[in-house]
Amino acid sequence: MADRLTVARPYAKAAFARAQADGRLGAWSGALARAALAVSDERVRGLFGSPRVTAAQLADLVSDVAGAELDQHGRNFIALLAENGRLPFLPEIARIFDQFKDDAERVVDVSITSAAPLGPDERSKLVAALEKRFSRKVRVEADVDPALIGGAVVRAGDLTIDGSIRARLTRLAQELTA
Amino acid sequence: MSIKASEISDLIGRRIQNFAGGTEARNVGSVMSVADGVVRIHGLADARYGEMLEFPGNLFGLALNLERDSVGAVVLGEYKSIREGDAVKTTGRILEVPVGPELLGRVVDALGNPVDGKGPINAKISAPIERVAPGVIYRKSVSQPIQTGYKAVDSMVPVGRGQRELIIGDRQTGKTAMAIDTIINQKDSGVKCVYVAIGQKASTIANVVRKLEEHDALKHTIVVVASAATPAALQYISAYSGVTMGEYFMDNGEDALIVYDDLSKQAVAYRQISLLLKRPPGREAFPGDVFYLHSRLLERSARVNEQYVEMVTKGRVKGKTGSLTGLPIIETQAGDVTAFVPTNVISITDGQIFLESSLFNAGIRPAMNAGISVSRVGGAAQTDIIKRLGGGIRLALAQYRELAAFSQFASDLDEATRKQLERGQRTTEVMKQKQYAPMSVAQMALSIYAVNSGYMDNVPLGKVVAFEAAMQGFATSSHKAELDAINAEPVLKKHEATLKKIVENFVATGTY
Repeated sequence: MADRLTVARPYAKAAFARAQADGRLGAWSGALARAALAVSDERVRGLFGSPRVTAAQLADLVSDVAGAELDQHGRNFIALLAENGRLPFLPEIARIFDQFKDDAERVVDVSITSAAPLGPDERSKLVAALEKRFSRKVRVEADVDPALIGGAVVRAGDLTIDGSIRARLTRLAQELTA
Repeated sequence: MSIKASEISDLIGRRIQNFAGGTEARNVGSVMSVADGVVRIHGLADARYGEMLEFPGNLFGLALNLERDSVGAVVLGEYKSIREGDAVKTTGRILEVPVGPELLGRVVDALGNPVDGKGPINAKISAPIERVAPGVIYRKSVSQPIQTGYKAVDSMVPVGRGQRELIIGDRQTGKTAMAIDTIINQKDSGVKCVYVAIGQKASTIANVVRKLEEHDALKHTIVVVASAATPAALQYISAYSGVTMGEYFMDNGEDALIVYDDLSKQAVAYRQISLLLKRPPGREAFPGDVFYLHSRLLERSARVNEQYVEMVTKGRVKGKTGSLTGLPIIETQAGDVTAFVPTNVISITDGQIFLESSLFNAGIRPAMNAGISVSRVGGAAQTDIIKRLGGGIRLALAQYRELAAFSQFASDLDEATRKQLERGQRTTEVMKQKQYAPMSVAQMALSIYAVNSGYMDNVPLGKVVAFEAAMQGFATSSHKAELDAINAEPVLKKHEATLKKIVENFVATGTY
């Protein structure tokens, strides 16, 4: 079976190109997120593959949940997904769409886990440093984990910057036992 | 409880001082699935092909499949501690093994860790296991012989330093014995040996190590072990680890010999990895790159010129050539050399020694089939005396084979034919040789001279082996100086008279 992401990627790419051309990235993102939520619902899931529901009916259902932000292009997109039986892939499509959107708007999602809650001053310093490092705007999601002992761990996509005391101790332990 | 030398507080203090703290920024992915030693990792977009990946608990893996959204990797070692969701980091390095003279006399695993209980190996340097073979301009043609110590091999299929000679045959035909004897025969030649045991029983490997030790051959040998119980990933890389260790000697202007025992098992281990990584199977379910698997390995056996050695050692070693002779072993199934892996390796190597179970069971040991065994480049490296005398052997055996089949139908034979048959039978007898009894060039020359010149024609067939043994004993006890002279300068013209004298003395006085 092909990877779910592999199936979702061309749809997301096409949707993104349309949205960008129309200048409605924000609206599409919101609509896709709601549509993704809808198809993740147990009750909606039960309708997929049911012989009593047509593809058009499914498309209407999902489009209605996605809301008024969805324009004619958006409705067409959902209808196409329904026709191809790819509605269950909406969560992946929404995720990839958001990645494309972040790339286009030069924004990066960063999660910061620190041993103690960050003060406003520390936070702004850290954000400034990270914005410089990634040369992008940073959207921060902060978290606290006392197990780190001290310092902080920054995660952005695949990149992890580990400046915690715990990581240093682990490396020291490895160094000494090597 | 034992305390290690590295636990002295001064040393610990120094290591703490030198410890580079600070933050580390690394590419991290997460484990999606673990099965049969193969891990799928999400993320890790920066991973490179063949790069080492770090798993929690000081475990390492090898990135072998780079796909759009995931990375497929094999775990080097025990994979049971890896869980779904574990963080995997890139290291930016490719796998390295320790190399150097410190490894001689040791038994190591595929990663170069000692497994012989003789303490740590203090190798000063390490080298990456994958390397491109020396290029055309750095090569030199094969011109020096490597003595296997077998009459049959050295006279008919000579192996030169830097050559790749395949040993191929069914199970139980003496393939390993031939390789081990060759290693034992390098005791005084200064050739360093590497024996790579891939997918074998641990008991067999222990036997080999013990035999090497008994014959004082372990001190110039590195044994790389990936037994049948080790994960397929380690069996696959062990051949590359071994060749890396052998290359060190070649690069330093020395001569080395590497035995891969055996490459069929390595191919099977690689097939397992490939299938688990979902690479498409081809012929015999092997992946598309088995040929490259072996060709890139065997290409690293080479003879390199002085410039190469000087360049690699940065001028430390001058005016010396280096060589790495390869003796890959392939096990066939019921003599079928047309299977995928045997044909591949036959075409890669510079010749092959065919061992046959029918000959082995008929008591002809080494069970070499002289008709289809060849050495494509070794002739240039043969010593003069063996080259001149060995030509007769090949001819006698070829004619014998032709007549032997024919004579089964004819009841009475003419004199010439009968003579030819008898000579062939005696030559076959003389080519027999016991295990762990390698011969010097002079000893071989003596035996071959005796049979070629017809001194054994009157010896009953059943007595030929005894005749030869007694003659060798006689020569070593009463003509040692002459034998040494032949070994020192193996030229037929100079010593033909000496050989004649020794044989005639023996025929006149000796008993057998």
